[in-house]
Amino acid sequence: MSGVDPEQACAAALTGLPEMTPVRLAALLDGLSPLDAWEAVRSANHPGDPRHRFTPAVRATDAEAVGERYARAGVAVLLPGRPGYPAVLAGDPGAPAVLFAEGDPTVVDGRPRVAIVGTRSPTPYGQQVASEMAADLAGVGVVVVSGLAIGIDGSAHAGVVRGAGPTAGPPVAVVGTGLDQRYPPQNERLWAAVASTGVVFSEAALGTPPRPRVFPARNRIIAALSDVVVVVESHHKGGSTYTVEAAARRSIPVCAVPGSVRSRASDGTNQLLFDGCSPVRDATDVMAAVYLARASAGRPLDPVGAVRPRDRTDDGVEPAVGRRLSPIQRSVLDAVDDTPTTLETILIRTDLSIVSAARACDELADRGRLRSGAGWWSKV
Amino acid sequence: MIASIPSAVLVGVDGTQVAVEVHVSNGLPGFTVVGLPDTAVRESRDRVRAALLSSGLSWPLRRVTVNLAPSGMKKGGAGLDLPIAVGVLVASGVIDPGRVEGLAFVGELGLDGSLRGVPGTVALADALRRFRLVVPTESAKESRLAGDVDLLTSTTLAGVVAGLAHQEQWRTASRSSGCGGAGPDAPATGISTGAFGTLEDPHTPDLADVRGQRVARRALEVAAAGGHHLLLVGPPGSGKSMLAARLPGLLPVLSRPTALEVTRIHSVAGLRLPPTGLIERPPYRAPHHGVSPVAMIGGGTSGMRPGEISLAHGGVLFLDEMGEFPVPVLDALRQPLEEGQVRVSRARGTATFPARFILVGAMNPCPCGEGGPPGRCRCSPVSRERYARRLSGPLLDRFDIAVRVERPESDELLGPAGGESSSVVAARVARARRRAAERGVGVNAQLPAPALADLAPMSRAAVAVVERSLRSGALSGRGLHRVQRLARTVADLEGAGAVLEEAHVRQALVLRPPRELLSRGEGQ
Repeated sequence: MSGVDPEQACAAALTGLPEMTPVRLAALLDGLSPLDAWEAVRSANHPGDPRHRFTPAVRATDAEAVGERYARAGVAVLLPGRPGYPAVLAGDPGAPAVLFAEGDPTVVDGRPRVAIVGTRSPTPYGQQVASEMAADLAGVGVVVVSGLAIGIDGSAHAGVVRGAGPTAGPPVAVVGTGLDQRYPPQNERLWAAVASTGVVFSEAALGTPPRPRVFPARNRIIAALSDVVVVVESHHKGGSTYTVEAAARRSIPVCAVPGSVRSRASDGTNQLLFDGCSPVRDATDVMAAVYLARASAGRPLDPVGAVRPRDRTDDGVEPAVGRRLSPIQRSVLDAVDDTPTTLETILIRTDLSIVSAARACDELADRGRLRSGAGWWSKV
Repeated sequence: MIASIPSAVLVGVDGTQVAVEVHVSNGLPGFTVVGLPDTAVRESRDRVRAALLSSGLSWPLRRVTVNLAPSGMKKGGAGLDLPIAVGVLVASGVIDPGRVEGLAFVGELGLDGSLRGVPGTVALADALRRFRLVVPTESAKESRLAGDVDLLTSTTLAGVVAGLAHQEQWRTASRSSGCGGAGPDAPATGISTGAFGTLEDPHTPDLADVRGQRVARRALEVAAAGGHHLLLVGPPGSGKSMLAARLPGLLPVLSRPTALEVTRIHSVAGLRLPPTGLIERPPYRAPHHGVSPVAMIGGGTSGMRPGEISLAHGGVLFLDEMGEFPVPVLDALRQPLEEGQVRVSRARGTATFPARFILVGAMNPCPCGEGGPPGRCRCSPVSRERYARRLSGPLLDRFDIAVRVERPESDELLGPAGGESSSVVAARVARARRRAAERGVGVNAQLPAPALADLAPMSRAAVAVVERSLRSGALSGRGLHRVQRLARTVADLEGAGAVLEEAHVRQALVLRPPRELLSRGEGQ
């Protein structure tokens, strides 16, 4: 039908076949255009499908209808070598044979790109660092790539979205589910914001639900899209490991944000640092890593100088103003360490009564120095 | 010839009088029991026959029919052995009918003719109050708890038969031997029932053993003083069970009516009673999470047995690993928690068991157990939320207090044992409970919401603290009343006046962290 490119329709239809995986899809499209591959599979004549695994499904599928469905959903079907497909992925060994995009896929080209990833169970420290770092990087025109998961990913995207502006780097997300399956539900608004100002990529066909194995595969695309990968917080052998390994295979530098050696959410990142990854403290450190990476890859960037940290008052946190802290408040503040601290621990460290410790915690929260969680306190 | 002997069977925790009618007639020798007997009663045929023969009495070689009236009600328990045996003896002319006039019998027979106690004698004796009651010696203490009952006791069937011949002598013997636990041939037992009020029990664990845990200790004290249900959330090894086991030691001794009620329930369930016969200490029940709904709530196929919630009446019900309990069992707790009693209905009848207890729940914060502050646990958010959802909202709302328990740090474990002992805390609890009782409400946890304005008014500073929590969303409007009740208890513990001060409200807020204590931390 009019408007639907048969190549794109066939590519989308092939991706959506039952039991299709990125590797099988790459084998089917190796050296063949999607239309040719479709016809070859349909006539049981495809060298990449010697056992005709997909032939019945292809014969039962109306490729044109699939193409129309993508068009209706506003999802672009990107093919290597054709306009819209990210140039940086073109030479990648694990590049997706078909990539779907919601938003403007061209935003990833021509800008420095940094992946900010980490655990789904972060500390407030990790969330703040991810959000600030992402906002600062976007502020100097860097494209921040992440996975739209909850935790560090979400904080990074939220930071970019908050720092949006005409010169700012647009947000880029790579998700594991189909683009009509907005997962996780908590990030639905964030997803919409990323898609409207940047782009959300997926290599999964429409309707693909969240499954455990799609997320590690998605992480390779995040790594492949980026000049530098920054891990903000990661548990020992957490999901970020896949991104780090994918980056290492592509010689993409991996940086890690140092954390407390007592924080379990920093086990993975501190191990990366021990193993020789560069530590990064803020956006300036990340930019230094980006320059080095681009220079060694023969794609140098114009220097932008040190990144000026944005005004933190934008984050909705009142700066500490007014009177100095009372001795009790001071000792309570000292008793709260970098990881969230329970009232019980504060009591042990300060030897205060329950009432005065609780009062001091509330007062410190009112002054923006502490944040209360469900039964614990953390520093702002 | 026919004989009718009064006895009683248990329905729930109450006894019901039944008549054991025995008819001996000519015909083929045989022995039939009719009138909805259960297995234990049907088996009593063989016990009664053997016991009679062992006691040197003869068995009538005639047709014996036993009817249990009223015949519409299912009758269970071995306590009908003795009345059946006596009925057979009367009907066959061995005992003169006049001698059993005005007497009721309860007791199980051994094959050798010995008499054994039966569960629930307190309730049975209560139901047979208008008779002079013959019970096995071992049940004498329990029977006496029913109040002013005229008891005749013996250890053997032969003793009963001999006693019936010389009733005045038997009575004197029964009465003169201390608490009266003796038939003509029984040794005096000499148990004193006058030793009420002793608190010392070497087996009760002491609060002084607990290191650190200041918040949790305070939570226990407030729970004990106000009768508030308590939820402990913490990783494995943080001492949740250790804390819960110390709660009964903080509660005051049971009042006489409650002690009787509790004794009655435990007696019906066939549990061992303390040497004094009366349970004075608050009971502590900690059923495993494999417990069935019937075992938890009460019921059962043969007769109605009290469940764990009734065995915990007057004391503490501790549910460890609360998330592992089957959802039907947990949800069945909701109505008893509200009403303080449970009505068990079956096709054969309905029984009401008292069930007023302090519920202590313990739970890991998440499936891996490490959870709590964000960043520490590795469970997926979905599995954490699923875990938190195992406690339904209405059940979670029953807990006035929820505190996080952490593993003590090493220097706390090695340092000197700090903290007050149970007796010090129990004294404060007893004072606070007296103050609450003076207001005319049992415990503060039961203060009705409309009365809070009068009984728990707040100072201006206290209102400001509450307002702050309400505004920040940490406290819901519904939680406000709970905070007021908790603060009332805190104030009672501290001996403060009628008005709740800021310090009381703050402590209440610490003890009642928001509901998300169980669910995941803050994600994006």
